[in-house]
Amino acid sequence: MIEAAAQLAVNAVALGAVYALVALGFVLVIGAVGAVNFAHGELVMLGGMVAVGVASLLPADLPVPGLLVLPAVLAVMAVAGLFVAGVAYAPLRRAPPTSVFIATIALGLIIQHGVTAGIGPEPRLGPPMIDSGTWHFAGIGLARQQLATIATAVALIVGVHILLQRTRFGRRLRAAAQDSEMARAIGIRVNVTVAVSFALAAALAGAAGLLLSNQYLVTPTDGAMLMLKAYVATVIGGWGRIWGAALGAFAIAVFETLVAAWTSYLVAEALLYVGVLAVLAFRPKGLFGEVEGRRA
Amino acid sequence: MRRLLPILLLTAVLPVSAGAADPVAVSVLVPITGFLALEGTAQRNGAVLALDNPPAGVTVTYQIADTATSPEVAVTALQRALEREKPVAIAAPIFGTQMLAMAPIANRAGVPLITVSGTAKLTELGHDVVFRFFPTDAVVKVAQARYAVQELKLSKPAILYQTTSYGQSGHEHLVRALGELGVKPVLEEAIDPGIKDLVPALERARAAGADSLLLQLHSGPTALTVRQAHGIGLGLPIVAGSAMHQPTTAALVEAAQLKGVCAETASSPMSDPRPDVATFADAYRKRFNAEPDAFALGQYDGMRMVLAAVADGARTPQAVKAWLASYRHDGLAMSYVSDGTGNMAHDAVIVCYDGSGRGPIIMKRYDAVDGVK
Amino acid sequence: MTRFDRRDGVYLAAAALGIGGVVIAGDAYALRIASLVGIYAIAAIGYQLVFGRLGLLSLAQGAFFGLGAYASALLTVSAGLPVPVGLAAAVVVPALAAAVIALPIARLESHYVALATLGLAQLALLAATNLEFTGGANGIYGVPPIVTNSITIGPLDVGSVTIAALVVPGGWVTLISVWFGVLAALLVARAVTRGDRSAVLATLDNAPHAAAALGLNGTTARLVLFAVAGGLGGLAGGLQAHGLGVVSPAVVGFEVMVTILAIAVIGGRGSPVGAVLGAALLIPLPEVFRFLEGSYLIAYGVVLLAAIILMPRGLDGWLRDWFPRRAPAVPAPRQSTSKRPGKPLVVQGLVKRFGGLTAVDGVSFSVPAGTVVGLIGANGSGKTTTLNLISGLERPDAGQIRLGGEPLFERPAHHRRELGLARSFQHPEFPTGLFVLEVAAVAAKDRAVAMAALGRVGLADRATSLVSALGAAELRRLDLARALAAEPGALILDEPAAGLTAEERAALAVLLRDLATAGLAVLVVDHGMDFLLPLSDRIVCLEAGKVIASGPPETVRQNPAVIAAYLGSGAAA
Repeated sequence: MIEAAAQLAVNAVALGAVYALVALGFVLVIGAVGAVNFAHGELVMLGGMVAVGVASLLPADLPVPGLLVLPAVLAVMAVAGLFVAGVAYAPLRRAPPTSVFIATIALGLIIQHGVTAGIGPEPRLGPPMIDSGTWHFAGIGLARQQLATIATAVALIVGVHILLQRTRFGRRLRAAAQDSEMARAIGIRVNVTVAVSFALAAALAGAAGLLLSNQYLVTPTDGAMLMLKAYVATVIGGWGRIWGAALGAFAIAVFETLVAAWTSYLVAEALLYVGVLAVLAFRPKGLFGEVEGRRA
Repeated sequence: MRRLLPILLLTAVLPVSAGAADPVAVSVLVPITGFLALEGTAQRNGAVLALDNPPAGVTVTYQIADTATSPEVAVTALQRALEREKPVAIAAPIFGTQMLAMAPIANRAGVPLITVSGTAKLTELGHDVVFRFFPTDAVVKVAQARYAVQELKLSKPAILYQTTSYGQSGHEHLVRALGELGVKPVLEEAIDPGIKDLVPALERARAAGADSLLLQLHSGPTALTVRQAHGIGLGLPIVAGSAMHQPTTAALVEAAQLKGVCAETASSPMSDPRPDVATFADAYRKRFNAEPDAFALGQYDGMRMVLAAVADGARTPQAVKAWLASYRHDGLAMSYVSDGTGNMAHDAVIVCYDGSGRGPIIMKRYDAVDGVK
Repeated sequence: MTRFDRRDGVYLAAAALGIGGVVIAGDAYALRIASLVGIYAIAAIGYQLVFGRLGLLSLAQGAFFGLGAYASALLTVSAGLPVPVGLAAAVVVPALAAAVIALPIARLESHYVALATLGLAQLALLAATNLEFTGGANGIYGVPPIVTNSITIGPLDVGSVTIAALVVPGGWVTLISVWFGVLAALLVARAVTRGDRSAVLATLDNAPHAAAALGLNGTTARLVLFAVAGGLGGLAGGLQAHGLGVVSPAVVGFEVMVTILAIAVIGGRGSPVGAVLGAALLIPLPEVFRFLEGSYLIAYGVVLLAAIILMPRGLDGWLRDWFPRRAPAVPAPRQSTSKRPGKPLVVQGLVKRFGGLTAVDGVSFSVPAGTVVGLIGANGSGKTTTLNLISGLERPDAGQIRLGGEPLFERPAHHRRELGLARSFQHPEFPTGLFVLEVAAVAAKDRAVAMAALGRVGLADRATSLVSALGAAELRRLDLARALAAEPGALILDEPAAGLTAEERAALAVLLRDLATAGLAVLVVDHGMDFLLPLSDRIVCLEAGKVIASGPPETVRQNPAVIAAYLGSGAAA
């Protein structure tokens, strides 16, 4: 019983950590340009497919295939992020945010159906982060794969945190996100920070895709579902708040694992949305409040 | 003779001018995008393989259109095909909901729909245009239940099923089939296709005291269930739905994790030793660079039967429909004959994996489950 | 509003083209596509009201579509009622559901509107997929068509001439029913947004603070527009159900919502006719690319992307560039006959805290009718917060505000206009795409009064300009005109002279003086002492949220505390 509960808790944390990566990338773009990137879920899926593709080039029986694939996925997806910025955002800089919304919906369709048409509709299995096996800890067996997933996701989240909070570049990024006019006035090249935000967001999406692809497979139609989760997480956490989004992501994962185990998937899903509506009834600005002065 | 009568009447009134070389048109309307793209692509490939190799004296043209994920798109595709292609038969989607929308329209036009959809209701609507070349849920779920209860001696199964047409229809028939064997499932868990972590369901099955898992899930979730059940050391035998036999599903699971997993299906073309099935499988691999599954073979057999009807002189939709309803056709997977409502397939097989590889072994055949021979 | 616009000619031409195309193609497939266009147009016209006019990113329009489809299917299939009854329910049930959620939803801010409506839509999808009476994932089948077979009209005997019987095939009947629905939807959308309601809605959406200060109450508008949107979404769903013959959870799915959203944006946000154009472009588009087999949706995505990049404001916005909207007729200016007496404004012990910071700390002063009072202080001393408290944009933590003896505390912002309060803003907000006269008239009794207000601020000759054509100084004057057009008894102005030239400032001072002479109580915040001191009867100086001096301009000007805190030594000289 304890083992089952521990297992579920680890699963919740692992799933939550990956969803947090997804939500983090999503919220970075919101922060940078105040618009929703509706193709974000498709970017996660694309990252998973890139991981599958890169892994197939590696020799079999490597000890840490996922870790070896990770840099390549980050790099490829960063380029994909620049592409998204160039195609779906740059031409619409001065247009209303809903135009970017529609442009990214279109891009999402192109990505999803491009993948289906290009490599087929099959679900695929990505490379594991490390070789499979179980660690025994205080009498409880925990899948190493899950622990490695958590470690990788946490490392990336902490990395982003340091980049945003502790570096000169991060400060510029945040300044540009808060008030792009002001940032431009003090000499920050907003186009560059926007482009980097898109690249970083897509790279994180790719990492999430890689982590999901081994534990939970990757299918070309996954994007919409992931997008929905990122959106809900972001809004639960307070629009534009990076840490709120991560917490929102964990909340969703807890419902999908622990609450589902206590009740059932259907009840858990209903409870999640009823809970969201209840939160909004009492706290119209989200669980953690909204970043002031931002509109999208 | 009673079955032949409509044919004789029809051929009597048909114009004799139709020369053998005049092409007939067939439409292929299947879901090649969206969450049923995997099954729909198998259907498409099976149909294409048959239509590209028609019997001597038959020329056939065909067009392929996607039915995606909703009845709306399927009906639009159907009306386009009926109006612009004038097909004698239509390869129709595996997706039961789409079929329920298409059947009345095809019925008015009198054009037969050739499908591998398992949704039992399709042939219970009083239409005479649906021809199903895959055993209905009423057949395969009986095989799945019987194998679990009678062969594996399981008495406390947990059912995990998808919240889709495929999952819900299968679940309903599985519970009924188990009930006829005096077994009541200890857990019936509905699972959205977007669910990633199946451990909660597995833990609930364990907590409910289940002695086995019966699955009615699509390909990806089936593979996930097998992997995660192995991962948490659940150790329960699994008898899965037809998605498990799809080579794409097995490819997602380590061979060792497959040990002891069984599944119902109509056929298993990748591991069927019969030479003509092997020939089909080779041709399929060569053409599409993929392993064939039972949906592909069922659709192939269905289109072959349509072509046989055309070769036999049935050159209008009505004639093809009457031919399909009247004759027996020896396909590769099995011998097909209508039960009077358009159910052509009556046999199911149980395949199992022995843990040495990803190819299933045919363990047991359940012939004429619905009493039609 | 009802006059013929050249753009309407384009719409009529497009309609003729569409009808011609369908008649020439003429087969069941063409009829079906044309019906589908109409169905999505109806849903999107409804969505334009909530998304385009109220500015709420509701993601529940797909759920209303589904609700209508299920309502009609259940009544006609399960209860065996006739199709018209089902369609009526398809309108009424979602309209009621929308009315119920409208007010709680409208209370939320932008993205929480999206989340709440998304949550409701997901619950609807969950229910449709898993409940017994909705038929589960397979849904409800055997939904009767609007007409089963063809309808025969005639033969008619007109005098001695016999007109041959006209046989209308079932597909045409469906098509005509659907497009009657489109026409009805357009008329309803026009009715609920006609006249100055359009400008009011635009102000509520694009200029929420101004709307609150101008006393525009969005509650009724939201209730009506939400209900109408829900009803139209439901009608579309009902027509879809009878056109398809089945209802499955796909009608509640997110894809329907995304399609409606894309139609609304591609058509031109807020434009009902744009919704029809958007549907006519996007619904047949996948069919055009059918020959690409599995890749057709890639092509669809590329065209959608190109469309939004080339026309970021949608088809309707793009057509607007070619055929600008006609300017409204300019009425003769007329001062209101029911002249409102000036109302004294009294502020007592006002306190406002933001977290740990006390922005306004026990401020008291009064503005007698017929006087101008200047409120000065350094940046961050609490001037704008005080104005926000008076106009009701912020709620005070303590204190009382009285206007003409009436306590304002606890009164929502939009009630204060009726009591006679109006204000202008430091950074005024304006609705986009409107003419100056329409903006000024938003809180006025009628356009003649608004015209008079425009005349007072010297904008009479710009009445028929678009707001977007105005310069910064003109916009400030428009803000003032908009407030004056509400015929207030007390007027509060936040930095009205900032950015004005010397002559403009002089003219403004004369205007404010005239208003005071006419009996208004005028409270002015400004930094320009050369502007404010000669103008004001009294000056109140704030420092760190407290009143440090008040009295006649000359006295305050020489007050050492004021010099130290704000004016600096140079000003005293």
